Amino acid sequence: MKKTMSDYELIEQFVKGEQSCFEELIRRHKNKVFAYISLYIRDQALAEDLFQDTFLKVIQSVKCGKYYDNGKFISWVMRIAHNLIIDHFRRVKQLNTVSNDDYESDLFNSKKLAEDNIEDHLIKRQIQKDIRKLISQLPDDQREVVILRHYSGLSFKEIADITDVSINTALGRMRYALINMRKMMEEAKISLTYN
Amino acid sequence: MALTSTPFLSYHEIQVDNIDIYEDAFGFYQEFSEVIKLLEQLKPVPKKRLTKRLIERVRQMN
Repeated sequence: MKKTMSDYELIEQFVKGEQSCFEELIRRHKNKVFAYISLYIRDQALAEDLFQDTFLKVIQSVKCGKYYDNGKFISWVMRIAHNLIIDHFRRVKQLNTVSNDDYESDLFNSKKLAEDNIEDHLIKRQIQKDIRKLISQLPDDQREVVILRHYSGLSFKEIADITDVSINTALGRMRYALINMRKMMEEAKISLTYN
Repeated sequence: MALTSTPFLSYHEIQVDNIDIYEDAFGFYQEFSEVIKLLEQLKPVPKKRLTKRLIERVRQMN
């Protein structure tokens, strides 16, 4: 039943006291939010904290009546995540010194993993590590557009709204990001053919 | 000369989900297909324990 409800219907029911409706919203959108934060923030523990803080902030805002439905709940959630990340960087101001060395995450679907052999797993793991490295080496504004489009599934209109730039600027950033990544892939001789 | 025919698609068969009209107009998928295919191989998901802990915190708030 809840799986067929729209985001707004779930919020309405949550405000009326139906706790499990917010849990459905978390299950529905957790991957998009986590992808954005974890690819933007290199420190895994911090990314996990911000991931939780985002949803807790959403609850506070919903309860205060700050959410008005325009059919874009996930864009609104991503804006909250974006603001929390910006707040964090403002506080710390040490963006370039955060280590990514100990990053560990459930990157693989476990059932799929069980079907793969060890060699496939290691190759896949290496490629995923390479992709993270490519993304992390992009300038901040380009990295953000890539993550929001490819890992959070937002449209360019939504990305432009969240990042406070025009759609053309967002598209231009994406273009530069793709050009830069292609260049880095060639330099690093990253395999493109893994399936 | 070999001729190949293109199967006719009805309007409803055309897949438009997740298509961004601006992205489509800029032709990113055509121009950078190898980069985008590489990006698609990474699928970050939160650990189960993280989601579980979040749901527990949400329950405590109410």
